[in-house]
Amino acid sequence: MTATTDIPTFEAARRRPGERRRSRIILTLLLSLFLVYSFVPLVYLVLSATKTNGDLFTTFGFGFGTNFNLWQNLSDLLARDNGIFMRWMFNSVLYSTAAGLGAAIFATAAGYAFAKFKFVGRKLLFALVLGAVMIPQTALVVPIFLLLALSGLSDNPLGVILPSMISPIGVYLMRVYIDQGVDDELLDAARLDGAGEFVIFRAIVLRLVAPGMVTVALLSFVGTWNNYFLPLIVLRSQAYQPITVGLATWYQLAQQGGGGGQVLFSIIITGALVSIIPVIVVFLLLQRFWQGGLTAGAIK
Amino acid sequence: MTKIFNPLGRMMQRRDFLKVAGASVAVAALPATVRGAEPVKVVLWSWVPDLQLQVDMFNAAHPGIRVELVNAGQGKPEYQAVRAGLQAGSGLPDVVQIEYQLLETFRQVDAFADIGPYANAHKGEFPEGLWTQVAKSDVVNGMPQDYGPMAMLYHKDIFDKHGITPPITWAEFADAGKKIHAADPNVFITDAPFGANADWVLGLLWPMGWKPVSRDGDKLAININDKIAKDFAAYWQDLITAGIVETKPGFNNEWYTGLDSGRYATWLAAGWGPLFLTSVAKTSVGKWRAADLPQWDASKFATGAWGGSALAVMKTTQHLPEAAEVAIWLNTNPEATKLYTTKQNFFPCTNALLSSPQWAGDKPDFFGGQEVNKVFAKSASAVAPFEWSPFQDFLYQSMSDEFGASLGGKGTLSDAFDRIQDAVVAYAKEQGFTVV
Amino acid sequence: MAMSNSPAAATRPARWGGFTSRKLAPYLFLAPFVLLFIAFIVAPLVYAFYMSLYRDTLVGGRHFAGAASYIKVAGDAKFWGGVWNLVLFGIVQVPIMLGLALLFAIVLDRGQVYAKGVFRLGFFLPYAVPSVISTIIWGYLYGPNFGPFTQIAKAFNLPPPDFLSPGAMIFSLANIVTWEYVGYNMVIYYAALMAIPSDLAEAARMDGASPWQFARLIQLPLLWPAILLTIIFSINGTLQLFNEPYLMRALAGNTINSSYTPNLYAYSLATQNQQYGYAAAVSFVLGIVIAGASYIFTLITNRRRPEQ
Repeated sequence: MTATTDIPTFEAARRRPGERRRSRIILTLLLSLFLVYSFVPLVYLVLSATKTNGDLFTTFGFGFGTNFNLWQNLSDLLARDNGIFMRWMFNSVLYSTAAGLGAAIFATAAGYAFAKFKFVGRKLLFALVLGAVMIPQTALVVPIFLLLALSGLSDNPLGVILPSMISPIGVYLMRVYIDQGVDDELLDAARLDGAGEFVIFRAIVLRLVAPGMVTVALLSFVGTWNNYFLPLIVLRSQAYQPITVGLATWYQLAQQGGGGGQVLFSIIITGALVSIIPVIVVFLLLQRFWQGGLTAGAIK
Repeated sequence: MTKIFNPLGRMMQRRDFLKVAGASVAVAALPATVRGAEPVKVVLWSWVPDLQLQVDMFNAAHPGIRVELVNAGQGKPEYQAVRAGLQAGSGLPDVVQIEYQLLETFRQVDAFADIGPYANAHKGEFPEGLWTQVAKSDVVNGMPQDYGPMAMLYHKDIFDKHGITPPITWAEFADAGKKIHAADPNVFITDAPFGANADWVLGLLWPMGWKPVSRDGDKLAININDKIAKDFAAYWQDLITAGIVETKPGFNNEWYTGLDSGRYATWLAAGWGPLFLTSVAKTSVGKWRAADLPQWDASKFATGAWGGSALAVMKTTQHLPEAAEVAIWLNTNPEATKLYTTKQNFFPCTNALLSSPQWAGDKPDFFGGQEVNKVFAKSASAVAPFEWSPFQDFLYQSMSDEFGASLGGKGTLSDAFDRIQDAVVAYAKEQGFTVV
Repeated sequence: MAMSNSPAAATRPARWGGFTSRKLAPYLFLAPFVLLFIAFIVAPLVYAFYMSLYRDTLVGGRHFAGAASYIKVAGDAKFWGGVWNLVLFGIVQVPIMLGLALLFAIVLDRGQVYAKGVFRLGFFLPYAVPSVISTIIWGYLYGPNFGPFTQIAKAFNLPPPDFLSPGAMIFSLANIVTWEYVGYNMVIYYAALMAIPSDLAEAARMDGASPWQFARLIQLPLLWPAILLTIIFSINGTLQLFNEPYLMRALAGNTINSSYTPNLYAYSLATQNQQYGYAAAVSFVLGIVIAGASYIFTLITNRRRPEQ
């Protein structure tokens, strides 16, 4: 049987077509309202990216400026500080991809252990994993820096990548996912056939939980992409910084007049817009994994 | 590119660039043997944009030293990194950019080396008031890089419309404000960002002779809510209560627009202000002028400073002579320092530049051809010495918090000074100082 | 929480496979995650706890202080004022954010709308905008003098709304956080919904259940662990609120002070007051508050959770 949750069919069976269409239209309108809300700030971002610095402060936010300056802003952005922007983009892509992949694999392995094995300390460890998130990051700022300095990882990209691979919510999601989505009988059957635990994990579990893994990967990717605090502490060299820290550096130039204050808003806004594009691409690439949906039924 | 980032692009001297580029190429072309042994590496943390230009000049002129420039963040993030490095005992640079106002705070944790033996020879090249910011008698902790003596920038069109001449005294400033606001309720004489920009507030208290914290060893005299502060608070409280000034935080879209559109008739600004304003106020070109900071006593001209930073040498450096040379050369070499005023838009620190016809005689269109730099140069010579506290960031934080609370309805500015006094005294005691 | 483990699997004797024994396997599967967890979360936490037992002073340096910092936090009005701010914040913001996320996830999962791909991407996009940038954008929109809402209000001769006033600030921040995180939570629910076996839908249809009944009786109970988790994470995220007020401070300095939220307070203590030990103590007490709040919440809801 093909694996689809296929609730549209469920709907179709219950309702007459006219009724269905009407409820569709109402729901679509309802969601559109929120979509407008989601987009309002983004529209401002897009329009702002087409303006000169001067127009940014003097023209209406939801209209175009006196000049269409997008291409100039882009070329300024790419030229600024010897083109460091592209380097930051590259760093962000690297860190986020590594963190997304790592988080997905490690969280799946850990979630699998929690879901399908009984072992000493299981409950305690799981509680610890979720509980540790409750200690604020700010408490860890100075300790992390000191520990990284001791281990020689300060100003080293690994100091950003490795911590970003820890996703407690990913472990949780994968535990639930494997619990509900992977049948014990299937695992046992594989064991009876003589398959090793690692083979079972790779050949059966990983395939069944792809949508869950994709979700964890996506959340970790975006989380790392947006992370500001950690790279700020860990990385010194501009060449290692991700896009958030880089843009914030430029932003701060305007915040403090002294020390060569410069207002680089048009570049920062343009940079912010460009920096969202990879996230959109990743989202679009990954969401196709959701299309089929996953069900326990698929395994039966 | 320069026309966007360097609003006074025409000030940029093309030949500066060529000279720098030429020198770098010339040295790079020398065979390694001529340049001598492995050069000493000096790590420099600075957030100054395009400082690499000056660093390249330095490296070209010093074959034995190679400066590695790192931007560790502007202000707070950099200080955070320095403090973490001090705790860890590693990961620190050799030379670091620190604002004048925080030099004493870092001195307190013994962060800096004394570069006096190298730097004292250059004392005479800087205005006296400025040198006292980086030196205590013969102990020198930093070399001045840029400066922010205060003056007033104003909308001439607004003043003209209401028949006002630039106020000489604060009393006249208040009168002008009342007159303008009465005629046009959407115009305010200025924006006074008490809750957000404590360093600005301090810059205005400075010429009054305010001595919030004076120290003698580990003994501190804390006089934050003295008569001076109370007079100052009463004056501004009147303006705020009368509604003729706003108290919105500075340095954001609203504020830029407020300056540009003439919501605020003046900006009580610092030396870096004219070029900064030029980059944000695009529609008011030619309408602005500069005048002296209003005075409490017109017979005794006094000003304060707002912003500016120095290059200091960290105590942990393994290469003190080389690091000192970096800090000194980058701030005294005529070519390098001149480039600050043309490329980085800094307010100059050296007497030579302050009096140079090219800088002082500049007549930007933005200010209707007025020689604005001269106004600020005059201010620079009238900046009195100021004693920074050994925990300046705590003082600033208390100021912002308490001024903000007062403006949000918790008493007056005068009450705020009392609360700051209490908070700072408590903090100082907790930190092991003896409060006298 | 609703997580079962097959007893049959657990009682089966250990087998050797190509990789390793059944007994050792869970530890090996856990190893990469746990190692990172220890290195980058547990170790700094232990270190931070150690620091919290010391007091740093500008004169005299560091000395052992025992529980003194914790006793001080207990009576620190600035700390508890920040906690109170966030309790108010959370009561308003968390239900709205999670309610919307849940609604969107269910509606999109069923495909009851046109162009569902557009909605899914559109709702998620705000999460892709770094909070530094979103706060700059919202800050502009909130502008009391020149922001677009003010301009619109002025055009209609209405009094302009002041989003940055002391009374409105908490709602303005709640709005930014809601905007940023509805999509995030939606994706978590969406993923959990996809784990619900399709035969359940089939069975429900056979039994003649309406979509509403299906959602209430089947989907909600199965989603409950995910909902509980997002609530706990939201309580956690709320009480740790930092980025948005930190950046908003540049626009509303008279409203947001250095102890507006507990995390902002801890940050100021560590980075400006140089009170590292006290900052660590504040963070730990905040952690305890969060854990306590989450625990109480779990107790309450477990008693009246939807039937499975």
